[in-house]
Amino acid sequence: MRLLALLAGLLIFGQVGAADDAYLAELVARARELRLAERPEWLKLGHYVPDLAGPGVHSLVDSPGFFNAARGKDDPRAELEATLGAFFAPPRGKDEAQHPQCAFVARYAWLDGELAFDARRLPPQDCPRYREWRAALDAEHLTLVFASAYLNNPSSMYGHTLLRVDARDQDERTRLLAYAINFAADTDEKNGLVFAVKGLLGGYPGTYSVLPYYLKVREYGDLENRDLWEYELDLSPQEVERVLRHAWELLPAYFAYFFFDENCSYHLLGLLQVARPELQLTAPFRLWALPSDTVRELVRTPGLVRKVVYRPANSTIIERRIAGMPAEERRMARDLGIGSADAASAPLRALPAERAAAVLETAYDYLTYRRASGEHDVADPQALAQELLLERSRIDAPSQAPRIAPGVRPDQGHGTSRVSVGAGRRGGESFQELAYRPTYHDIVDDDSGYARGAQIEFFDVRVRRYEQAGTRLERFTPIDIFSIAPRDEFLHPKSWGVSAGWRRVPIRSGREPLAAALDAQVGGAWRLPGDALVYAMGQASARAHHDLEHGYALGAGPRLGALVDPLPGWRLHAYAQAVADFAGERDDPRTLGLQARWTLARDAALQLDLSRNREAGRTFGSALFSLHFYF
Amino acid sequence: MKKLLVVASVAALFPAVAMAQANNIGSCGWGSKVFDGQSGIAPQVLGATTNGTFGNQTFAITSGTSGCTQDGVVRSNWKTAMFIDGNKDKLARDMSVGGGEALDSLAHLLGVESADRAQFDRVARENLQRIFPSSSAKTDEIVAGLRQVLAADARLARYTAAL
Repeated sequence: MRLLALLAGLLIFGQVGAADDAYLAELVARARELRLAERPEWLKLGHYVPDLAGPGVHSLVDSPGFFNAARGKDDPRAELEATLGAFFAPPRGKDEAQHPQCAFVARYAWLDGELAFDARRLPPQDCPRYREWRAALDAEHLTLVFASAYLNNPSSMYGHTLLRVDARDQDERTRLLAYAINFAADTDEKNGLVFAVKGLLGGYPGTYSVLPYYLKVREYGDLENRDLWEYELDLSPQEVERVLRHAWELLPAYFAYFFFDENCSYHLLGLLQVARPELQLTAPFRLWALPSDTVRELVRTPGLVRKVVYRPANSTIIERRIAGMPAEERRMARDLGIGSADAASAPLRALPAERAAAVLETAYDYLTYRRASGEHDVADPQALAQELLLERSRIDAPSQAPRIAPGVRPDQGHGTSRVSVGAGRRGGESFQELAYRPTYHDIVDDDSGYARGAQIEFFDVRVRRYEQAGTRLERFTPIDIFSIAPRDEFLHPKSWGVSAGWRRVPIRSGREPLAAALDAQVGGAWRLPGDALVYAMGQASARAHHDLEHGYALGAGPRLGALVDPLPGWRLHAYAQAVADFAGERDDPRTLGLQARWTLARDAALQLDLSRNREAGRTFGSALFSLHFYF
Repeated sequence: MKKLLVVASVAALFPAVAMAQANNIGSCGWGSKVFDGQSGIAPQVLGATTNGTFGNQTFAITSGTSGCTQDGVVRSNWKTAMFIDGNKDKLARDMSVGGGEALDSLAHLLGVESADRAQFDRVARENLQRIFPSSSAKTDEIVAGLRQVLAADARLARYTAAL
């Protein structure tokens, strides 16, 4: 026992000269007395979270270099005491690894604040690398940037968040020069499937990195066409300092990256919450962290968000540009952008200077958009870009770029989870329904704050109680994505959908077993006057259950629909689909349906679902009236 | 023996904190991720389920040094060149209209005073061809072109010092 104590002492005090041993012991004793290792500041700096089972904690950081104690990952107190010991290390040379006081600059600052280190007995070290980094950032404010999903071209439909460090000498016009602190899975994996699977299982190290914000704007705004929302945080200089010190500690660290919980947004909050002792931003997000939910959490925290700036993506700008153009100019801009008209052409010359400028700018943006979207039909896009820009530069007119008023912010839309209670009749039998959708949005929901026409639902579950059939699981859909993006003369996105899960399928015996079902659609959508949207798609449908002929059914057919908002707060969705099976069970199920949603408040809505179905030789109607609550 | 123990415990307590790592940037630049957009449906579906970004494959700049960056921040003597390198398309577009945030940011890097901004914007627009001789111009060509154009203007000549 004494030997153990001696060994432990050696581990903690080993590198410290005899004269310092006493002071370290004094500091450790004071830290214990003050119970510093239990303080939220320390737990947040160590990224400690409660164990799922048991009373202990563990750190989410997975790199051993982040810990000074061998048991540091699970033992905040051992880590704190070993950290104090490490601060006594002899000074380091210029080319050596950083001194612990520098590598753990946030811990040092906090412990110094709590324990008031005696500089004669624990000499403070100079940290030139940190000093230069900190000076280069020249931080005044921090801004949380939310990259929303762009319909049909999402790196992530849920969006992404990063932290921007705004320097003292910048303003809104020169924000490109700021730096960004980004958390992402560190991988060169180009195969989306491998990436998705490994990412779900924590197969990649997640790391923080610092890079110029302009690279991120280029990546999201220009290449991926995602609008950016910039939430400037109301932090004092001291609070900004705390976050940056901790960011410095985190740069060499890594975390196992999990898409649903330990993702970019979760870890960004983990960094940000060190700003104030009382901030506990990550606490609500242990199971999953949607980027837009993490933004809500910031907005909800009193006095944290100062203002919000909207930065439209390239495609948003193009849409707005063409919306304000006469048809003839639109055609001109399109033809110029795809290289089928000459920039020095007569019709363009005939336009007033500002109109010609607008046409050329639109053509250039369109060319850029198409290149970013992977369309390679223009023979020499670089020469064409140069030609358009030169032509534009000969016109002495200010930029014709439209001013785009921000719409509803991503934190102001309906809540991302939904429960519903409903009642209805189906085939002459009454039922009550209870439904729960953990995430996120469907095309009938109010799309304020969401990308319009982008449905993404995970783990939607519906249970019904029928008068005669009793209580049963009606459907369970782990994944349901449906993306309707209107095509016009400029933008030609595909509309598509995929859903997989289990649902009730009527069969000829009269029973309705829970069959596995996989449906996929692809097609197009078009905007009609009055902002209505129609879509037409081809659909493939597979169902599997042992009661089906050969155990499955495989079919294909059309799916058509229309979306219209007849009044503010209202949305109607009419649809029709038919599937003709060609393998397995031979059936031709058809559905004609109408959905009507009426928004009562941001987080409450009424919905009516009417449908007429023919399946397994039976024809039946269905009506469901439900009340949705979002949270 | 004691010394050995001390060394061993130091080694145990401080496993090397990320050492300098090469970034493969070579001569300073950001590499080109421009215009490799994905089309088709499969990548979108998969992307949709991944809830994050596809990482920072292209710009893997964490802690460590390269010739141009140190711990993720750009060395001050490379700031302008790296900015131009990372914003060529935007800069060419902004110059063609004589304004915009990329041009504003460039002017800021060059230290252009507010009294000279209108002149700077106009000169950039009128000399687009000289600054961007082609849209595939390399960063050093653009810097050289910009330097020439500024030098030829009496009011703006002094800003070449920052290039």
